[in-house]
Amino acid sequence: MFIVYHLIIFYLVSHFIWYLFRENEFWKRVSVALVLIMFLLRLFLIK
Amino acid sequence: MKGLKDRLISGLLLLLSLALCFFSTQKFREQHKKETLFPSGGLASREMLSSYFPGLIDTPGDTEVYIYGGQNPGGNILILGGAHPNEPAGYVTAVLLIENIQVSQGKIIVIPRANNSGFTHSEPQEGNLRGYSLETPGGKRFFRFGSRLTNPIHQWPDPTLYINPSGQKLSGQESRNLNRCYPGKPKGYLTEKIAFAIMEIIKKEKIDLAIDLHEAAPEYPVVNAIVFHENSAELASYSLMELQQIGFEFRLELSPNNLRGLSHREWGDHAQVMAILLETANPSQGRLKGKSSLSLIIEGKDRNYSKAAKFGLLFVPFDGEGIPIKLRVARHLAAIKILLSSFNELNPEKRIEVNHMPSSSQVKLKGIGQFLCPPYRK
Amino acid sequence: MSEAAIFLFMIATFALLAMVLKLPIGVSLVFSALAGSLLGGEGVALHHLVEGSFGYFDTILIIVTAMIFMKVLQESGILDTVTAILLKSFYRRKVALLLTVMALVMFPGMITGSSTTAVLSTGALVAPVLMKMGLSRVKTGALIAMGAILGMIAPPVNILVMIMGGGVDMPYVGFTLPLLIIVIPLAVSTSLWLGYKNIKIIEYKQMKEVLPESFFKKYGFRLYLPLIIVIGLLLGQSLMPGIIPDIGIPAIFLLGSFLGIFCGKPLNILKTTQKAIEESMPILCILVGVGMFIQIMTLTGARGWIVTSFLSFPPLLLYLGIATSMPLFGAVSSFGSASILGVPFILALIDKNAILTSSALSAVAGLGDLMPPTALAGIFAAQVVGEANYFKVLRFCLMPALFAPLLDKLI
Ligand SMILES: [Zn+2]
Repeated sequence: MFIVYHLIIFYLVSHFIWYLFRENEFWKRVSVALVLIMFLLRLFLIK
Repeated sequence: MKGLKDRLISGLLLLLSLALCFFSTQKFREQHKKETLFPSGGLASREMLSSYFPGLIDTPGDTEVYIYGGQNPGGNILILGGAHPNEPAGYVTAVLLIENIQVSQGKIIVIPRANNSGFTHSEPQEGNLRGYSLETPGGKRFFRFGSRLTNPIHQWPDPTLYINPSGQKLSGQESRNLNRCYPGKPKGYLTEKIAFAIMEIIKKEKIDLAIDLHEAAPEYPVVNAIVFHENSAELASYSLMELQQIGFEFRLELSPNNLRGLSHREWGDHAQVMAILLETANPSQGRLKGKSSLSLIIEGKDRNYSKAAKFGLLFVPFDGEGIPIKLRVARHLAAIKILLSSFNELNPEKRIEVNHMPSSSQVKLKGIGQFLCPPYRK
Repeated sequence: MSEAAIFLFMIATFALLAMVLKLPIGVSLVFSALAGSLLGGEGVALHHLVEGSFGYFDTILIIVTAMIFMKVLQESGILDTVTAILLKSFYRRKVALLLTVMALVMFPGMITGSSTTAVLSTGALVAPVLMKMGLSRVKTGALIAMGAILGMIAPPVNILVMIMGGGVDMPYVGFTLPLLIIVIPLAVSTSLWLGYKNIKIIEYKQMKEVLPESFFKKYGFRLYLPLIIVIGLLLGQSLMPGIIPDIGIPAIFLLGSFLGIFCGKPLNILKTTQKAIEESMPILCILVGVGMFIQIMTLTGARGWIVTSFLSFPPLLLYLGIATSMPLFGAVSSFGSASILGVPFILALIDKNAILTSSALSAVAGLGDLMPPTALAGIFAAQVVGEANYFKVLRFCLMPALFAPLLDKLI
């Protein structure tokens, strides 16, 4: 299960980054960047 | 097609995310560094928990097991600290034992960091400090303040509903609470494997008496308490009287039959040992705690708790003096000492003899650091 | 600096950023947490901020994956098909329709203990039916939000009670009856109150006009496969543990979404995921912000100050304090409310029957999912019915919501 969830995180991180480049509104992009921090830390198994 | 400027902004925001990740990483990583412990000359051997259950080899759940005595047969005792790494008195008491005791008859096994993974992170939204330092004659010793639960990067995801090895339904995150996972499962979650390994120690080392060192929030009813399995009812009540004679008030609590998965229940049920759990009052883990600070952890002072005590909301006396960690460790030491002597009275054929155990009155008077090795000793 | 001052400063910063400067709520929360950390003398406590947000990591995973699943249901035509079936079977029976709808919305919440899951799974199924039968958007939203919350409180799985029980070492046993006594009257009265007057009994011809296209003929039974798998797994993991594997709610939703690719109208899963992320991003960021906000409140002592203040109220005020503070704190999360306030409240009321007390407290805490700014149930219900202003939805939840603490008093 651990690997499955790791893959889910990877899938979502890729989508977050894609969305970050797709979105035009500044504050929405800031939101993505903030959410992304957490996902990156879990992706790299730091927190 | 989007403009170059837009892409630049997105790129910069991505970089910002990565940078914030990078800068917070160091603090999170630091917490994985184990503090060195300096066992006394009485140490007979140091094993890893995985040598009792190979399923833990190379996992973050593997942890040191310190064995004292064993040359002259007698009673076998297990003392567990750090089952909940946010309960510092339990951990520090185990460390004090490791760094001081000598056992001339019988055997004492100490596991100071029972949930090793729990020490590697702190609980979200609890705002805890990373750790605290205790002053020894030769300098400061740092100890980590961990989380009640196993680190989610070691055990993840939580089930929606956790049904523990004893069949109790609990909320999903309790699958990472070592003291809900007994008697463990050899092929279960990491925390269940740790619980299983501890059961293996109890069986393979033929433990007679097992003591689990904890703390609880002052607003919690089972505090300053000896929780005992019915196997150890005589031992517990006998010890209570002795403790009262030297000025320590304790509550006696029989381990409830319908609350499964806890050490004091399953150790007794599954390994037939005398099982005891000790609780002291720790304001730094409560829900009323004020600003996170060293003084909250070490001196145990907190305005909110003083106020709550006035309103009769607490189960321990609490005033401006607080409940310092040295007092809590002293309580644990006193209880252990008297449990051992009561054990000897009740089981004269299985005596346990311990020397150089720090006395509770001295710890209360001089502080914990006086009985810890200085940080540089090899 | 006193804890109260820090807390007020954080609230003021939030209000300034969110209301005056019109920043997104999530971003405003992040900056007000940062401001609190600076004022509390903690500097830029980056690791604390990040750590706080992790308190909602699991919730966020559920929300994103549930949203992806909902989008797949929409785009594959499954949603339309199910609406068509429900409409055909109920277009002439008002009470039966309302009660069935209520039960359907509550169901996932009962099984998973999460109101978000309920709104975004069966809530999305019944919304178009209700609206086509003449119920206004806002009332539909309110009905779904209330149903989801009642489902979260209803047995067999009430995570709020489990969290509170975990804090006082009370096993999760013997809660079925007390919870049903709280939930059933509320569920029946809420659905009838919100819907009885407005739902129209319509003629067969009218019904045919609003009937959405059913894709059942084209794709056959496999159209239902994603729904059956998702509901089956959600059910199985709590009712038949050990037999049906507990793969967690996020994995269940993603599995359902994946099946959806092959079971209905063709869709591009990558684009669907993007849509889901776009729509859920505001709430994800709010959760991140709230997590940081709570962490700083705890770190600076503001949280402890608030909890202690409530607990030191005299008995009568204590009940009032419970009725207001628990839903209010639920604004940050009902689970957080159960843990941070629920546990001390149970301990303060320890002379009462703990099972009844915690059942009632869970009902009060559950209402927190209606409170802004997070208002998980409210926001998603508004989204499901396509109403931009979720405050309008909340207005209609107010009545039944006020009723719950009253019930709590009686117990
Ligand atoms: Zn404990």
